[in-house]
Amino acid sequence: MEMRSRLNRFQLGALLAPGLILFGAFTVYPIARLLVVSFCDWNFGSMLRQQWIGLDNYREVLRDPTFRMVFVNSVVYTLVTVPGQMALGLIVAMLLSGVRRFSVTFRVINYLPVITSWVIASLVFRYIFNTEGLLNYFLTKVLGVTSQNVRWLDSRWGGLTVAMILGIWKGVGWNMVVFLAALQQVPQDLYEAAQIDGCGAWKKFWSVTMPSIRGTVLFALIMLTIGGFNVFTSIKMITGGKPAHQTDTLLTWMYYNAFSAGKFGYAAALSFIMALSLGLMAILQFKAMKNADG
Amino acid sequence: MRTLKNALAILLAAVLCLAGTALAESAQAPVTINFWHHYSAQSAENETLTNVLIPKFESENPGIKVNAVSHEWAELHDKILVSASSGSLPDVARCDIAWLPEFQKMGVLVSLDEAMPDFKDASGQLLDSAMSTASIGGHYYALALNTNSKILYYNTEMLKAAGVEVPGTLDEWVDAVTKLSGTNANGQQVWGWDEPALSGWNVCPFIWSFGGSLTSDDQTVATGYINSDATVKAVETFAKLAQGGKLTGFNSGDIPMTDGFGTGRYAMMLEGPWKVAELAGAYPDVAYGTAPIPAGDGGSVSVLGGEDIAMFNTLNQDAAWKFMQFMTGEYAETEMAKCGQIPVNKAALTSDTVKSASFAPYLEAIKTAKARPTVAAWSEMDNALTTEMTQVISGEKTAKQAMDELAATFDELLKK
Repeated sequence: MEMRSRLNRFQLGALLAPGLILFGAFTVYPIARLLVVSFCDWNFGSMLRQQWIGLDNYREVLRDPTFRMVFVNSVVYTLVTVPGQMALGLIVAMLLSGVRRFSVTFRVINYLPVITSWVIASLVFRYIFNTEGLLNYFLTKVLGVTSQNVRWLDSRWGGLTVAMILGIWKGVGWNMVVFLAALQQVPQDLYEAAQIDGCGAWKKFWSVTMPSIRGTVLFALIMLTIGGFNVFTSIKMITGGKPAHQTDTLLTWMYYNAFSAGKFGYAAALSFIMALSLGLMAILQFKAMKNADG
Repeated sequence: MRTLKNALAILLAAVLCLAGTALAESAQAPVTINFWHHYSAQSAENETLTNVLIPKFESENPGIKVNAVSHEWAELHDKILVSASSGSLPDVARCDIAWLPEFQKMGVLVSLDEAMPDFKDASGQLLDSAMSTASIGGHYYALALNTNSKILYYNTEMLKAAGVEVPGTLDEWVDAVTKLSGTNANGQQVWGWDEPALSGWNVCPFIWSFGGSLTSDDQTVATGYINSDATVKAVETFAKLAQGGKLTGFNSGDIPMTDGFGTGRYAMMLEGPWKVAELAGAYPDVAYGTAPIPAGDGGSVSVLGGEDIAMFNTLNQDAAWKFMQFMTGEYAETEMAKCGQIPVNKAALTSDTVKSASFAPYLEAIKTAKARPTVAAWSEMDNALTTEMTQVISGEKTAKQAMDELAATFDELLKK
């Protein structure tokens, strides 16, 4: 008996080892290394000798006005795109849950943006919103509402708005699928009972649907918040942070510092500040949802 | 077991013998120097290097072999950084002039004027303006290898239609840019000037030609230089043209440079020798001419680009130095000029090959062109410059305010 359980433990270890080694080598070790880097003066000029400078990188990040600007950009991006995607996704899901014919077709059409490549979608959006782009052509030549091309991409909020529209357009499909699955789990008899109690459609939505899919809403909220703070490709492709980093978000600013400016220490500190903020936000979201339960 | 031991013993003996002969041979064997460059593997430059220059060098210098390795431009930069930390650097490399301050700060480059007694003989054959790219903190860390710069490109038909002469001075330039802007026959907006970014590469020619500067000559102070009256005037003039819709290209939504120039939406621009081939490929029908950058109080001053050849801290310094002298000598520079590389060797510059080449107009520009500050913090300074320029153009700051703030930032960065 003793022998057998030992063997089992050995077998267990052998089976776990490949996964643990990979996880350790490619996830745990890089994170630990990054933490060390964030406390060092590490840039192109100090590639050979990195000096331990404690919290200086963190101080530099927090004092940096550009960091504050890109942090606000990321917060605004998240505050706009997350509720936007969720609301539209939920509306589409509710409309589709009542559809009997061609429901698969509608689902596929709504899901297509999700599987479109970020790079290609970004380039298309850039083409549409360019000063010489499709939208301006439509406005000036077809509708004739303005004679001057509008500079959609050239200001801070203009560029960010285009990226946010892309983010929402691309995210609706995912939300639709998630909410559609949740809606199908809501017991029909609850709706029938509500009907008997004399509830209208609005009351049914808030008193039956929403409480039933609360778990899914929380899941989507947390996933999308993380996704919102991780926005990178669209910003990089559409504005590239121009003008002068005013449309940069946390990730594009981090990328710029690490790989263009060579400030690895600064970028490492920035990534930990970002991870901590995200963790904190997830905890708050959990708490808020729990409180709403009680 | 015994046989295995015997076999091992024999094998070991054989290995030792081989190693012994190898050691004995290496005593007389030629020195091999490693040369890393970023001439593209398929290019005419690489052909010339491997089939003409290296064989010639090896025949002139028996006992030295050259092992040339081609890298991608960006890859070479990173590869040198990585090799520096693992101690596997090449002996010689062709480096973008912008990389040198960084490598110098890492302490991997050889200070040539201190290490090589005949440094002055070698550097004296090269253009001073090009050699300035290798000077850091009073010492020289490379020899200039080839150079490039930007000159004025103008759309001949647009200038003729607007009745504008090619601008020779900065005042005429402002006039010309203003007159060339507006709408074309199709009702599309056209701009007199295209500037694809707001970094030092783009803004410096104007600052210098207006008589301004970025830092003191010894590159230690910026206050009094980047915020001098002349610099502020340059920035102000540039920003006013941009605000008035006469100068564009740096916005996210703008038409790309070659397309805008090729389709007659941008009338003029400053560009490098590579633009000739680009335009010939994409817009063969566009009629254009070139001219020096318009002159102001500072003269006609363009910005220098190009490559230097640098030596790393390895054991083969004498052989490496010979190779560097060969590569910057008249013969090699003339051969490379045939492939479109603008030479920096004064003798090579007078040869017929060079005079007849398509880059001939650049040769004049290079004589007065200046290098951007050769300091390790340049990329950060460049970023700060772009930010301030953006804020002046958007009207958030006046040119004076922005340059005063930039002076403080530069001073701080120059101290690092």
